[in-house]
Amino acid sequence: MTASKLAVVSAGLTEPSSTRLLADRLSEAVSTQLAEQEYPVEVTVVELRDLAVDIANNFVAGFPSPKLAEAIKTVTEADGLVAVTPIFTASYSGLFKSFFDVIDNTALIGKPVLLGATGGTARHSLALEHALRPMFSYLRAVVVPTAVYAASEDWASGQETGLSSRVARAAGELAGLLTGAAADGGPADEDVIIPFEQQLAALRGN
Amino acid sequence: MQFGIFTVGDVTTDPTNGTTPSEFERIKAMVAIALKAEEIGLDVFATGEHHNPPFVPSSPTTMLGYIAARTERLILSTSTTLITTNDPVKIAEDFAMLQHLADGRVDLMLGRGNTGPVYPWFGQDIRMGIPLAIENYALLHELWRKDVVDWEGRFRTPLQGFTSTPRPLDGVPPFVWHGSIRSPEIAEQAAYYGDGFFANNIFWPKEHFMRLIGLYRQRYEHYGHGSADQAIVGLGGQVFMRKNSQDAVREFRPYFDNAPVYGHGPSLEDFTEQTPLTVGSPQQVIDKTLSFRESFGDYQRQLFLMDHAGLPLKIVLEQLDLLGEEVLPVLRKEFADRRPAHVPSAPTHASLLAAKQDNNSEAVIAGNH
Repeated sequence: MTASKLAVVSAGLTEPSSTRLLADRLSEAVSTQLAEQEYPVEVTVVELRDLAVDIANNFVAGFPSPKLAEAIKTVTEADGLVAVTPIFTASYSGLFKSFFDVIDNTALIGKPVLLGATGGTARHSLALEHALRPMFSYLRAVVVPTAVYAASEDWASGQETGLSSRVARAAGELAGLLTGAAADGGPADEDVIIPFEQQLAALRGN
Repeated sequence: MQFGIFTVGDVTTDPTNGTTPSEFERIKAMVAIALKAEEIGLDVFATGEHHNPPFVPSSPTTMLGYIAARTERLILSTSTTLITTNDPVKIAEDFAMLQHLADGRVDLMLGRGNTGPVYPWFGQDIRMGIPLAIENYALLHELWRKDVVDWEGRFRTPLQGFTSTPRPLDGVPPFVWHGSIRSPEIAEQAAYYGDGFFANNIFWPKEHFMRLIGLYRQRYEHYGHGSADQAIVGLGGQVFMRKNSQDAVREFRPYFDNAPVYGHGPSLEDFTEQTPLTVGSPQQVIDKTLSFRESFGDYQRQLFLMDHAGLPLKIVLEQLDLLGEEVLPVLRKEFADRRPAHVPSAPTHASLLAAKQDNNSEAVIAGNH
């Protein structure tokens, strides 16, 4: 069986970053659950910090640099996506949003996505539901029901009630979608031709 | 192979000294550039059409008519004529009139424009951009080919018993290029009619345009106008030259860094690597331009953008001298040597008239049997 491709987007800004830490925990949990079901998976991480200037240049120039194009390809061609951002000013970070802004708005249709976010306090956790989930709904991605928020105190929480259980539950949901989705073909990369007679006829209301 | 220049007609402050030309100065500069184009042996001058500052060319056929009177050989064209927001009846009339005045030295490139508010300003809906381009051109095409037109569509008042005057010169409509940077629908439209397809490739990497031009070529063949490699393709290019390439880079950098389209973004070095922009010696321009043929196949028209981003007229005219002396003779020879015999040249009034007369005499011969 060919391995499923899991892309991991992390918008953490520091190194090391708790956002990347959460992204890794999520992707490891997904890989473990898939391995248990004997589904091989190949994980590729996209660190947005390394692409910050390329993303800004894409806005100005209208096309991605080769490095950014490669990252976009990793995300759009993946079978599943783990997307994690720090919460800034009540929402996803500007860098996180900007990365998804430069991706074609139809490129993530139907893609299984697991959302995660980090912040200094748990008071911001619903930003996942109020900001990230609507954005991915707009992109018509298939977002798993559990989104995982990690506040500072979560890194010291117990196994049963804390972060680990939320990570495991969310990973299980994404793994479930991937084992269903793994049989699908790759994304269509062809321009759709509407025959000209049909375009003319549509105008004439025939 | 035709070579020419196309101008956006922007009024931009020169970033090296802070001076901004007046509209009067810019319009006169565009005319001076067109006359220079003929002097150095270029084949085509094309002007943009815009309806908002900082652009001046809102009335292309007025400008082209003036240039027609002061030139002998230059083909006058547009880049682009807005097929979405102009009345196709007025396009038919204006360009037929220009064709008579210029003794047939006229063609035009149709486009949808790049400024959203132009649609509402002219009473149209931008969401209908593609349908407008399709319907308006269908009418334009008919107006130039049928003496009396009865017509009804979605976007324009119906016509009963309408004749667009003057009729095209010698009964030969101006050749049409369809310009697009993004839409497969427009490549399909150009292919359907057997018209030219112009991909203004200057701001983006080539892979995107290889796909779009490939689609046009494939559909051109599908509609029976000829083989895919006989389809009529035009490309853009953007150059700044000095004899010594380091001088070119040093002189052009402030214009690049502040250019309205791509300034304050990627570096000059990244941009020249990833797009057709060439800043360097005439030989570098020759090498880069010849590489277009490798990517897109044999093509018929090459237009260069030379006068934007606040470059003063004096520098633009120097650039054109370099183009005419150092680049053009080599490109003409190299492209001619590489082009297979079955690949046609860009249609001109003379070639279209000759083809029409051939068809007519064949029809007469067929009628005698």
